[in-house]
Amino acid sequence: MAYQLYRNTTLGNSLQESLDELIQSQQITPQLALQVLLQFDKAINSALAQRVRNRVNFRGSLNTYRFCDNVWTFVLNDVEFREVTELIKVDKVKIVACDGKSKYSSNYCESKATSNLVFCWCLFV
Amino acid sequence: MACINPVPKLYRSVIEDVIEGARHLFAEEGVEEQVLKDLKQLWETKVLQSKATEDFFRNSIHSPLFTLQLPHSLHQTLQSPTASLVIPAGRTLPKFTTAELGTSNSRENLAFSGYPIHVPAGVTLQTASGHLYKVNVPIMVTQTSGRASILQHPVQQVIQQLGQPSVPQLNPCCLQATTEKAQRMETVLQQPTILHSGTEDRKHLEKATCDTLVPPGNEHKIASEALLSQPESSQYIGLPGVVFPPQVSQTDSNVEPVVSVSASMIQNLHGGPLFKGPQGTRDQHVSDVQLHLLKNRKFECDSVKQPRNIEEPSSLPVSEKGSNSQMDLSIQVTDDDINEIIQIDGTGDTSSNDETGSTRDVDENEFLGIIDAGDLKVLEEEADSISNEDSTTNSSDNEDSQIDIVEEDPLNSGDDVSEQDMSDLFDTDNVIVCQYDKIHRSKNKWKFYLKDGIMCFGGRDYVFAKAIGDAEW
Repeated sequence: MAYQLYRNTTLGNSLQESLDELIQSQQITPQLALQVLLQFDKAINSALAQRVRNRVNFRGSLNTYRFCDNVWTFVLNDVEFREVTELIKVDKVKIVACDGKSKYSSNYCESKATSNLVFCWCLFV
Repeated sequence: MACINPVPKLYRSVIEDVIEGARHLFAEEGVEEQVLKDLKQLWETKVLQSKATEDFFRNSIHSPLFTLQLPHSLHQTLQSPTASLVIPAGRTLPKFTTAELGTSNSRENLAFSGYPIHVPAGVTLQTASGHLYKVNVPIMVTQTSGRASILQHPVQQVIQQLGQPSVPQLNPCCLQATTEKAQRMETVLQQPTILHSGTEDRKHLEKATCDTLVPPGNEHKIASEALLSQPESSQYIGLPGVVFPPQVSQTDSNVEPVVSVSASMIQNLHGGPLFKGPQGTRDQHVSDVQLHLLKNRKFECDSVKQPRNIEEPSSLPVSEKGSNSQMDLSIQVTDDDINEIIQIDGTGDTSSNDETGSTRDVDENEFLGIIDAGDLKVLEEEADSISNEDSTTNSSDNEDSQIDIVEEDPLNSGDDVSEQDMSDLFDTDNVIVCQYDKIHRSKNKWKFYLKDGIMCFGGRDYVFAKAIGDAEW
């Protein structure tokens, strides 16, 4: 089962919105929409793994970090992203990362990462 | 340098895969094929509407939308291995709708990476607004962010306005390019004039003349109707007239009005629910006002306190109980001051001072509990020597509260800061969803080894197979 992590992206959200519209107009059932989303999870995971080849480097300052349910959530400030072709600067970025080695906690990745609930808060005092 | 943005192609492939994969699901459910097509269309439209895919059409130009309508036969010729070839061949490119304009809130923008577009002669360009431009001679349209734009003179002669309407729709695009926050304000759609960072680049406006390209044989009938109906409801409306003349090539004379109009538009746009910036400033203003009011109250309390302090020594000989009451009053006043200060920090509302525990957080209550016990005993002993009436308990409570408040402020001040940050900290437009290979930390130096990620910065999407980062905490 693939990570549902990517549902909260432009592509994933637009798919969910489209499915919601079809559900509203009762053209599809919610169950079917869920199946489509699962299909999306598979497709996006596979596409990213196989069709994307570029590398990015970045540097910034770490504001916060959180590790809960094997999901890392970082907030960085004043970050520069460097690709071969371009440089992107942002003042704040949130990174949500699921374990790249294990694919079994797909549900957690999605819910915990996007819920912002503080279960394990690590701070140096 | 040929830098092809992989995002649109990737997204297209994912959409295709999902639709194909869902086909049998739909069939099993007994849902019609048309619904699947509707889903695909809705999905593609939404993706296009977002800024995520600057060039869903694989146009690599830093400019707002281009929709190219070409005869099919031309696609073959357009395809060339050179980087200047922008137009993807053989595809039906969905039109950009200007529906986005109305709904966009300045978030929707299609931007292309900055590559020159070479438009051969004989091409008919149709803007989203319905204007048709026929290119008589080959033109080169380049758009760069911050770099000189080169707008070919032939454009003026080349472009003949064939079509019509919704000129106003062009305006927003132009305007937004010139805004300071042009990047966010770009709802452009199809106006080539707009650039991401095109504040100082009036020349970019010239470029705008580049036409929006509409793919031929496009099934999505967008937007001319949408466009026509759009502008009145869009926030860009205020544009009095067409700032964007069909004769693009005119330069500064046309640019000036555009810029000026944009200024007004910017104001209009700021008025709208565009993004957090203006709202943030408004909030800041409100908080400042509140702070000012609180400070005033504090000064009033101070003035009140002075006479009390004068009174206290005189009350001493009367009775300790009386003095305690005086002190209680002053303590209460002090509490007011302190509480008001605390409110400035944002810990709570302005509830009664006596109820020290009620307006505080749980942590503070715990401290209160600890301190209360100890202080209470001490104060009770003192109070017993004076009297063992209710007043002593009250005074002890008040003293406890004073002591508690004084001790807790420095303890909690640091917590307050971080608590406030929490709610806003994770609310950002710039998000990366990915997987991690390894996260390493050495003292406060962190290293990130990430993979298979999708990045979204200000609405624009990027992807990476691997990302390596450093950060210091």
